[in-house]
Amino acid sequence: MNAAPLARRPLACLKAGLRQTRQHRLFARQLATEATTTPTETTEAAATTPRAPLQHDFFKLNDRKTKTLRTAFAVYPTTTAAGTQSAAPPPVNALLSLHEAQIKKMDPTGARTALVARNREAAQPGDVLMVTHRRGGEPFAGVCLSIRRRGIDTGVLLRNHLTKVPVEMWFKVYNRNVAGLEVIKRRAKRARRARLTYMRQAKHDMGSVEDLVFEWKRTRKVYSTGKPAAAGKGKDKGKKAVAAGGKKK
Amino acid sequence: MAPRLPARCWRQLAPPTATPLARTTTPSHTAAGAAALPYSPSPSGWSTLQPRDKPYRYNQVSSGLPAPTTGPAAALKRKEHSTPVRAGLLGIKKGMTVFMGRTGARIACTVLQLDRVQAVLNKTRAKHGYWAVQVGMGERLAGNVGAPLLGYYEAKGIAPKEVLAEFRVRNEKGLLPVGVQLFPDWFHVGQRVDVRSNCRGKGFAGGMKRHGFAGQEASHGNSKNHRTIGTTGPSQGSGSRVMPGKKMPGRMGGQRVTVQNLPVLLVDNELGIVVVKGAVAGPKGAVVRIQDACKQDPPPQAFIDKTMAQLQERFPDAEAHLQAARERHLELKAARQEKRIAELMAEGMKPSEEEAEIMEAIIAASIADDAAAVADTKPTF
Repeated sequence: MNAAPLARRPLACLKAGLRQTRQHRLFARQLATEATTTPTETTEAAATTPRAPLQHDFFKLNDRKTKTLRTAFAVYPTTTAAGTQSAAPPPVNALLSLHEAQIKKMDPTGARTALVARNREAAQPGDVLMVTHRRGGEPFAGVCLSIRRRGIDTGVLLRNHLTKVPVEMWFKVYNRNVAGLEVIKRRAKRARRARLTYMRQAKHDMGSVEDLVFEWKRTRKVYSTGKPAAAGKGKDKGKKAVAAGGKKK
Repeated sequence: MAPRLPARCWRQLAPPTATPLARTTTPSHTAAGAAALPYSPSPSGWSTLQPRDKPYRYNQVSSGLPAPTTGPAAALKRKEHSTPVRAGLLGIKKGMTVFMGRTGARIACTVLQLDRVQAVLNKTRAKHGYWAVQVGMGERLAGNVGAPLLGYYEAKGIAPKEVLAEFRVRNEKGLLPVGVQLFPDWFHVGQRVDVRSNCRGKGFAGGMKRHGFAGQEASHGNSKNHRTIGTTGPSQGSGSRVMPGKKMPGRMGGQRVTVQNLPVLLVDNELGIVVVKGAVAGPKGAVVRIQDACKQDPPPQAFIDKTMAQLQERFPDAEAHLQAARERHLELKAARQEKRIAELMAEGMKPSEEEAEIMEAIIAASIADDAAAVADTKPTF
């Protein structure tokens, strides 16, 4: 397909032409035939579909010593491909856009995003959180050691003591399996670290948060409208709980 | 086999002289049994072999010999089943993230971005010895491109590319129109791809890191040899030499790594991304080659047809543009050789006669249309 540019050197044409005159055998793939046939094809093609004239700039190469023009080449615009305006550079923050699109899909109400936003209303390290699993089972509560913000992969690390055994678990905020995520106790004073890894030390360990969970459930019962409080079933209730936690503070 | 002695020679030698040559081709033998033998003496000697139509070409299909198992044709045939049907794409590794499924599945994935990927050249069996498509990606300033490559891109009508790479394809059906841009929808969600890229360079690494050697003991009298590779071979009885290919410390990483059969999770033309499951070698910003997996069936023919139709639809003028660029290239090349490129640039590129004719025809047609429109709107009495 692209044999033509190399093959159509003037010298090569001359050589092939001479060879052809010398011996009257027909060489189907001779360079001369290539050179002679193409113009007719183009006129036909051009006659049927008139194309726009070529758009290009010149790039000049100067002589190093004399600083005068040595030669120049046609340089075609980067925004076109095959004569069609299409080739715009792709967005540089594609990863960010992908995150946004995924978050919009996984969290249409924005409740999950609000819970891990960077403001005082959102959950923060040191708060006690409770996670409800979509497939049921006992909700997991624990003190939040850190919030790892990675777009769609944002997660919280919770620590608790179950049967006097320390347990830490990561929960991905936007995962569909996380049905509810509620703040059940705010830390009295804002933690001055982003990652409270020192809480793993015996001196700072918070221990079990069972009593806090119990207290929170009792409070919710008092404030509820008489219906039995189902602790964190579904996203909307989780959102309400977040709002209540904010007010409590 | 009897020597092929020309008849004119042994006829002369045949009479009384008993030379070794004459003995080997006894005239009585040939003359007496000429009619009875299955062969007939010819002017060029005789042979017991069956006559061949082309005795000077020995390994033809018609000769009944097996097809050669080596050589270019045999190599292509051998690799045919493992060569993808279609060309691949070039991309840039943007980083890793996760893909959250609706059922709670969380899949680690890699985001690969395509930056103005264009088909640059088709390589053919006849000219280059194999079928392949050269694909370019990105943008390079003309000042950073040498003169030979500037001429190359000029002849293609393509802006200089940052990266060029070649993708082998099975046959001529895999070739692409030159200049067309390829988008992420070249792949479909769910298909498997092979992703090739250069892994991170680790620099000069020791035997433990590079080859997984065990290292040596921390104690028991060990002195300053905890991570060394130990012995490199037996001693005197085996030649007191190090065997070639002995694993030793050296440069590690930086070589090409292929990750096979990665499922495509997402393609997005607006963002220009292909998201594949799992990890891909190399740091962020690494150039990756993405192609249909060679160990899987090719994509369905209907899908391939669809992508080719899309190319045609998006770039209807590809052939004409390429041809025009070639002509312009020849024109400029002649001007460069004749040292009149400066004056050509000064006076501006004039349209060729054909182009001028076309433009005139278009203008004339539009004028005629206008006149007809005016005539239509003119009230008739």
